[in-house]
Amino acid sequence: MSAAERDLTDARWSALMASAQDGDARAYETLLREVLPLLRAICRARLRDPSDAEDAVQDALLTLHRVRATYDPSRPFRPWLSAIAERRALDRGRSRGRRLARETGIEDAAGIAAPTRGADTSAADAQLRRAVADLPPAQRTALSLTKIEDLPLTEAAARSGMSVGALKVATHRAIRTLRRRLGLPD
Amino acid sequence: MDSEDLIARLAADARPVRRVPPPVVSTLVWLAAAAAVVGAVVAWSGFRHDLPQRLATGVDLPQMILAGVAGVAAGFAAFQLALPDRDPRWAWLPVPPALGWVATMGWGCVQESLAVGPAAFVPGVSVPCLVFIVALGLPLTLCGGFLARHAAGFRPTPVAALIGLSAACFASIGLTLVHHLDAAATVLVWHGLAVALVSLAAARVGPQPMRAA
Repeated sequence: MSAAERDLTDARWSALMASAQDGDARAYETLLREVLPLLRAICRARLRDPSDAEDAVQDALLTLHRVRATYDPSRPFRPWLSAIAERRALDRGRSRGRRLARETGIEDAAGIAAPTRGADTSAADAQLRRAVADLPPAQRTALSLTKIEDLPLTEAAARSGMSVGALKVATHRAIRTLRRRLGLPD
Repeated sequence: MDSEDLIARLAADARPVRRVPPPVVSTLVWLAAAAAVVGAVVAWSGFRHDLPQRLATGVDLPQMILAGVAGVAAGFAAFQLALPDRDPRWAWLPVPPALGWVATMGWGCVQESLAVGPAAFVPGVSVPCLVFIVALGLPLTLCGGFLARHAAGFRPTPVAALIGLSAACFASIGLTLVHHLDAAATVLVWHGLAVALVSLAAARVGPQPMRAA
């Protein structure tokens, strides 16, 4: 992309973001779809694992949404967007490092007998995945950060942009929703 | 959920938002709020009886000016850092005036030592200094944190710490205006301790009310 094309794209994104700040949902969706490749490029440059990179992209999208009032349309859009993506990729890399430090290596776990996985287990897994995927975004984010990634509440709150209280409530509701959908008692 | 689905959901939630004012404007609002609160406390407490002499002899004036400059710089840096596209090196802005402030207090110790000897370097105990700065600095920090609440989703900790530093600097100026305290070492230790305490407390717990606001 030439410098002139880049400037044009920047001006277009800036205008779309200004419209989005005014509540134009179509401009906002167009903008987010257009910047998605840039977000992916930034996150993939920082994170080797593709699923971690995609999670960081989603963190960046959530942060962008949360802090969209901080964009000043008189300034270029790309540095604002890149700073958010870089930050979320860095956070994701750090939390991955902490997670790996807590996990047991597969070689070390060789002596542990693996449970036999039958068709019932696979079906239950699939049902659970579907139920998680169907949760409202806030509940799914809360569940993912607090229970699956096992982050401290303060860090999960920083990552999601929710308050600690809202995070606790969303996690509680997510678990209750999952129990109901899986036919388990409350 | 994949990223495309997330985009659709975020777009569906595209309510209008009020743009965050530029850092200069936010800083001016913050300064007005801090001046009103500290001014009210000073008016209520009354000026210290020896203030004219202290100011005339030039003992307290440099300290208050540098504390004020550090407070303004910390506030401005906080509102810069609250915006994602601003350089993180803004965080260093209040460091020179803050060091200058500490240096003037240290220089006060040196001058006193010429008059009273090494005893000038031994700080006395002044718990009221600590209580005043903390009791005034923490509510002011909450007020500043509210003004910078948009930083909650990006880098709340350094923003909260800088707001805390700014608030504590202004509280320290207020204290110098109302509280009679001559010993430079005591001022250095208790003002310094209180300012550090407010800044650390702000960094530690400040992000939570910012997210909730």
